[in-house]
Amino acid sequence: MTGNCPLPLLTLLLTLPVGTAALCLLCKQRPTAARGLALAGSLAVLLIAIGCFILLPTEPGWLLLEDYRWITALGIRFSLGIDSLALMMILLTAFLSVLAIGLSWNEDDRPPTYFALLLLVEAGVLGVFMALDLVLFYISWELMLIPLFFLIGIWGQRGGIAAAMKFFLFSLAGSLLMLLAIIALYVLHGQQSGDYSFALSALQHTAVPTGLAPWLFAAFALAFLIKVPLVPLHSWQADAYSTAPAACSLLLAGVLAKTGIYGLIRFALPLFPDTAQTALPLLAVLALAGVLYGGWIASAQRDLKRLVAYSSLAHLGFILLGLSAWTTTAVEGALLQMVNHGLTTAALFILIALIEKRAGSRQLDELGGLWVRVPRLSAMLLFFALAALGLPGLNNFVGEILILIGTFSVQPLWAVLAACGLLLAAIYILRLLQGVIWGPAHDELSWPDLVLQEWLLLVPLVLLVLWLGLHPETFLEPLRGPAQQLLNGAAPLSLSGGLP
Amino acid sequence: MTAPELIALLPLLILALGATALLLLARDSVGRSWPLVVGALLALYAALSALLLPSCVTEVGGMYAAGPYARFFIALWSLATAATLISSSSYLARRQLPSGEYSALLLFAAAGMGLLSSAVSLSGIFLALEAFTLVFYVLIAFNKDCPLGAEAGLKYLVPGGVAAGLLAFGMALLYAASGSLQLPAATAALLAGAPMQAVALAGMALLLAAFAFKLSLAPFHFWTPDVYQGAPAPVTGLLASGSKGAVTAALLTLTATLPAPPAIFKPVLISLALLSMVVGTLCALAQSNVKRMLAYSSVVHMGFVLTGLLCWNHTGRTAALFYLVGYSVITLGIFAVITSFSGDKEPQQLSDYRGLARRQPLRALALTVLLLALAGLPPTVGFMGKLAIFSAALAAGLPLLAVVGILASVVSIYFYLQPVIQMYMTPASSAEVVEGHAGEYTVIAICLGLTLVFGLWPDPLLHFLTRLTP
Repeated sequence: MTGNCPLPLLTLLLTLPVGTAALCLLCKQRPTAARGLALAGSLAVLLIAIGCFILLPTEPGWLLLEDYRWITALGIRFSLGIDSLALMMILLTAFLSVLAIGLSWNEDDRPPTYFALLLLVEAGVLGVFMALDLVLFYISWELMLIPLFFLIGIWGQRGGIAAAMKFFLFSLAGSLLMLLAIIALYVLHGQQSGDYSFALSALQHTAVPTGLAPWLFAAFALAFLIKVPLVPLHSWQADAYSTAPAACSLLLAGVLAKTGIYGLIRFALPLFPDTAQTALPLLAVLALAGVLYGGWIASAQRDLKRLVAYSSLAHLGFILLGLSAWTTTAVEGALLQMVNHGLTTAALFILIALIEKRAGSRQLDELGGLWVRVPRLSAMLLFFALAALGLPGLNNFVGEILILIGTFSVQPLWAVLAACGLLLAAIYILRLLQGVIWGPAHDELSWPDLVLQEWLLLVPLVLLVLWLGLHPETFLEPLRGPAQQLLNGAAPLSLSGGLP
Repeated sequence: MTAPELIALLPLLILALGATALLLLARDSVGRSWPLVVGALLALYAALSALLLPSCVTEVGGMYAAGPYARFFIALWSLATAATLISSSSYLARRQLPSGEYSALLLFAAAGMGLLSSAVSLSGIFLALEAFTLVFYVLIAFNKDCPLGAEAGLKYLVPGGVAAGLLAFGMALLYAASGSLQLPAATAALLAGAPMQAVALAGMALLLAAFAFKLSLAPFHFWTPDVYQGAPAPVTGLLASGSKGAVTAALLTLTATLPAPPAIFKPVLISLALLSMVVGTLCALAQSNVKRMLAYSSVVHMGFVLTGLLCWNHTGRTAALFYLVGYSVITLGIFAVITSFSGDKEPQQLSDYRGLARRQPLRALALTVLLLALAGLPPTVGFMGKLAIFSAALAAGLPLLAVVGILASVVSIYFYLQPVIQMYMTPASSAEVVEGHAGEYTVIAICLGLTLVFGLWPDPLLHFLTRLTP
């Protein structure tokens, strides 16, 4: 079943957030209406994504395809397509976007613009996960960047402007070089076949000269790994995560990081299969460096958001390690871990925001005694912190154990080092719990415990974490096909039946 | 001169005769806006007649073409002039400047730029170039009470004089070598094996230097920041888009007559483009004055356009044309915004933009989108232009230019975002905010709309320009 849906669902998914954003901007004088609209729009996207997940068969290959003429003079087409990996990412994006909007429900500085920008980020990310034309992909890639620059710069905390600028320049440096690589592929393919096209299905058949391929692969990989980020390209990350408004930190860590990994899987690795093989060990070394360095630095953080930022660095390193191990088990684990990491990190950022709202601070030294004051909030923090730590029965355990097993079978040393990273995770997570939950309270003020609106944000996350931890098969099964296709080389891109 | 030839010249006649009539009729026009309206209408009329009235002859007097290429540029510069006129009225009124003379001068400039874009002979290039350069000497120093304006006028005059000298001498040498001023024939002496090729090459070198002056390609760009800073904002807009664009159009005609660049010029031209990108970007980084920053940014953009021309094939020229049209639209829009924010003083310093987004959200948004378009971010025409230029450059085997261009784009993001940061991310200053004028809003909206439309759906324009390019 390729693209036999009567409705242009994918185009709808892409245009829905954009349209809602435009409507939000029109409600300049009525912030409540803008909030409602934003929530409705993002919920609609989520419903479509869930519908697709339930109704579409979990078979390898493209589940939905859409393709329209766009810029014929340059061979650019408006073509979208999803396989089950993309669908999983879309599901994650849609879900976390709803949470991001819910989390910033009480934003009172120009809410219409704020929500419109959040929706534009969502649209950009969805475009990245669906685009099958490299220019369309590039445009989406930039479009998720621009609104985030404004969100961090305008609504961020002290130092937000510098962090936004750093984030923007880092990302653009990578993506513009990627643009050059895209153009180079386009020109090469055009000169070889006479067909000037930016379509992924066409470009994957380009014979890239051996001298050039490493450079082009490096340009793609650089753009993606900056976005993840991977050590040593991570220096924008902690600043951006810690100064950004909570909803943006959530999206940055939960979703934006995944666009980088997705880009590797969908574009960089299949477009240059031979170079990719030689680059995998280097990727693994950097990923291991990320696991260990991220864990080590996270153990020394006082600011909770920076702590989660560096722990994210370690977790993302884990995912990349799974990819570079290049065995079925490890790659499946890595794909599943993309979802897991999105959920737990999002939950942690939400909890930090809730704590900061009550305590007015998120420094470890200034917190403490949370259990006495707000037991329910503390229990939630404990739950998600243990999930992030990789407690068996919760979601992260499944992904991490798959990655470790898969890696151990080919590179025992890598797996051993990565397991040491897990020890570091225990250190910083327990340090966080000790500092925040236990200990004496600093003052006698009483805080409100979780209210309904906050429960609504957390309960779905709790359920998903348990679901993924106890019965991961629901989510693992659809990911098997994409994982196998990635390992088989160019197969995921071959469009059996072809584009219309 | 025959009737078909007159019809072929009609758009230019409308501009020139209309300007003359305005000069005679609009005396004592300080504070009046009707001369501007009449001027804009004349320019629109000229643009319409250029687009709709086909010419029966292809050339007039062996000097100026009347084909679609020429007609397109006459229309484009007329429209740019109309936009400038429409957005100038409150700027002029605040400064007690005579709108009649202003309007007439701009129409003369439009005629000159149109002529230059349609020139097919060396003498035609010289006459047209001098015609509108003379007008710009006056326009740049139009505000007599502004000392910076007078300085800018002088700084435009002196390099302009040098450029004119180089141009005339270069043409003389080319004529000496080839015996013709007509374009394909005049440059034929440059081809390998032609008698007196050395003389022709020397002439061409002088000619290119003159063009580089006018385009402000590094290292011929030193006049640019001072002139941009001192000239009235609306005039700067036309100077940046129209005058540079017309010179590019002439250069494009010139390069199209040669099947390949003369071997010794290729490295020179490549270095010009590279230097422009690098020097322009690095100098713009250090500016705290927005107009000076835009001046250096124009140096970079001319480097991009030259990259397109350097591909020396049809694709490259089309890309350069597309980039030129996009750049003109964006620049006109940006200077219209600056004009509309101009009270008694133009907002030139970065700090003049503090917190504007809260007080003037629409114009701040427009300026932001236009600046991002200059930076080449999607979904704007700036991105599509870069895509076209860089793919043409890679296809033509100029990877160095493409790589340096991309790196320059990365760095340039920093300075294009500075005004945006001031507008959106700093608290408002207490300075008075100038309410916009309807005419200014119209021009801003049109430029903004075109920037986005050509960015999202450039297909029609690209196909049109492909047919047009020589």
